[in-house]
Amino acid sequence: MNKLMRLDEVVDAIPAGSTIAVGGSSLSRKPMSLVRALAARGRGDFRLIVDVGGPEVDLLLGTEKVRQVIYAFVGFEIMGLAPHFRRARESGSVAFQEWTEFTVMAGLDATVKRVPFLPTHVGLGTDVLAVNDAFRRFTDPFGGETLVAVPALAPDFALIHVNLADPQGNGVILGDGHVDVLCAKAAKRTILSAERVVSAEELQRYGRDVQIHRIHVDGVVEAQWGAHFTGCAPYYRADLRHVQDYLTAARDPEHWAAYVDRFVSDRHADYIAAVGGAEALIGRLEV
Amino acid sequence: MSDPTAEGTRPQSEAAPPAPTDSAPNTAPPYTIDYTIDELMITVMARQLQGEVLVSSVTALGALAAHLAKRTHAPDLAVLSTPESGMEVAPIPTLTLGQFLTDAQQGIPLTMEDIFDAIFLDRFRIWINPAQVDRHGHVNITAIGPWDHPKVALVGSRGIPEDTSHLSQIFYYVTSHSPRSVVEHVDFRSGAGYGPDRVRELGQPGSPTLLVTNLGVFDWSGPDHTLAAVSLHPGVTAAMVAEATPFPVATPDPIPTTAAPTPAELALIRAADPLDVRKLEFLAGRAAAEGLVNIYERERQALHAAVWPHRRSR
Repeated sequence: MNKLMRLDEVVDAIPAGSTIAVGGSSLSRKPMSLVRALAARGRGDFRLIVDVGGPEVDLLLGTEKVRQVIYAFVGFEIMGLAPHFRRARESGSVAFQEWTEFTVMAGLDATVKRVPFLPTHVGLGTDVLAVNDAFRRFTDPFGGETLVAVPALAPDFALIHVNLADPQGNGVILGDGHVDVLCAKAAKRTILSAERVVSAEELQRYGRDVQIHRIHVDGVVEAQWGAHFTGCAPYYRADLRHVQDYLTAARDPEHWAAYVDRFVSDRHADYIAAVGGAEALIGRLEV
Repeated sequence: MSDPTAEGTRPQSEAAPPAPTDSAPNTAPPYTIDYTIDELMITVMARQLQGEVLVSSVTALGALAAHLAKRTHAPDLAVLSTPESGMEVAPIPTLTLGQFLTDAQQGIPLTMEDIFDAIFLDRFRIWINPAQVDRHGHVNITAIGPWDHPKVALVGSRGIPEDTSHLSQIFYYVTSHSPRSVVEHVDFRSGAGYGPDRVRELGQPGSPTLLVTNLGVFDWSGPDHTLAAVSLHPGVTAAMVAEATPFPVATPDPIPTTAAPTPAELALIRAADPLDVRKLEFLAGRAAAEGLVNIYERERQALHAAVWPHRRSR
């Protein structure tokens, strides 16, 4: 089956109020072309599920597309805090639910396994259990110890960026896998963006690096530099110059409007031109 | 090469040697070698790591401590290039190239499942630098002020609850010991310390082991598992610690002085961090921004120079 889509078709396929899991981690392999398209034209009122989030959460908050964020982390690592996330957390304008890295994985895995929750010790002794009422303490029916029930997380959509995909939806990840396979399996519908779309025959040569399987995938968008301004190992690194520009703009409402105007679009080619063109990106970012 | 772990063979200064900072006066005794606070802290951190466990490299100081330990007293450590990525690499602190290092050095790739399984099985060690650490060993990276109306929203608990629910040893460091970072009670417990909740719900796991700051080395061996000084860095007095800490810190008298890095340890640290990424953790504002840009522009070159030519060839 040919699952190739255009960015604008992806935006149209995602209804208002959808729960969206986003792959990648921190400044690594975030599906930024898909996220920018949703920030530009998405119907909004989204619930986001991220394990280690950053620019995707901040951009969708900054364009007012979000009603709730489920997260273990949102930030820009050594570059600083996420400005829109920080503002929304401090003002309470959006609902937030703090999870942890493993419990996000466990919640997605519960959906994959079609069980209502998975047990863990994670969170005991911390305030995560005090502020997140999705988790429940319960008593182990066999041994009597206290455990935490992590409820299933059931995304309507997963957005994932991969190095290579074929038109049927198989995806190759060549760097760290993060929690992308779990996102793809747990979501009702999974959309891949790919640096390059290749034939099924060519993709199959990647063997064990084909981590995303087509039985879990509904759409494929070709987007070279589609993770920019995050990195996509082993092709290109995160663009920290652009991260600095983003953070400067996001900290100031006036600059932010100009940033959105210039960079936030569902036309990926326009974005690449706005950040200086592919040649400039190769020089700055290829490793 | 001399054995850098042979601490007992080195002379220890009894009479307040210079503080190990960039501003140290030029009155050092002749046997004192030049080192900076980051290098002293890395050396202390390295000495805590031992055995055959995964060691994460979330921060430059943590990565360098793992590297130093592996190259000295703990050759069996499995050192990661990034928090996830691959093991059997020499971590070169960079801003953007951790995953690339895994490939460049032909590291063994790991998954998130591998990492958390190692945590659950207590075969994992990590140095964490929290925004706040408290008298009872709780740590906070989530928020300053109440969680639902924070004065400053930080980043979220990330994987710290996993660590404190399962590891038998937890290591913390802060680069700026002050009433803002070392507090009586954290504003939010991202990680479990000592206290009734922990005892009731967790038992032994999650016991904080050590805190290294720019002033000294501490543990929670004070009354009722409260913070106590183990050693103070050269030039640091108990009065300085008292001024920087908003609660009493149990301090033995006399208090030992933290052993300085050996020349061999310093050489290993500096060779592993040619870009001085470790210094960024001590900078703020413009100095940090300039340092960051400088490293970012140079780090691809450093990565290419760091490919291990003696690894298996094809």
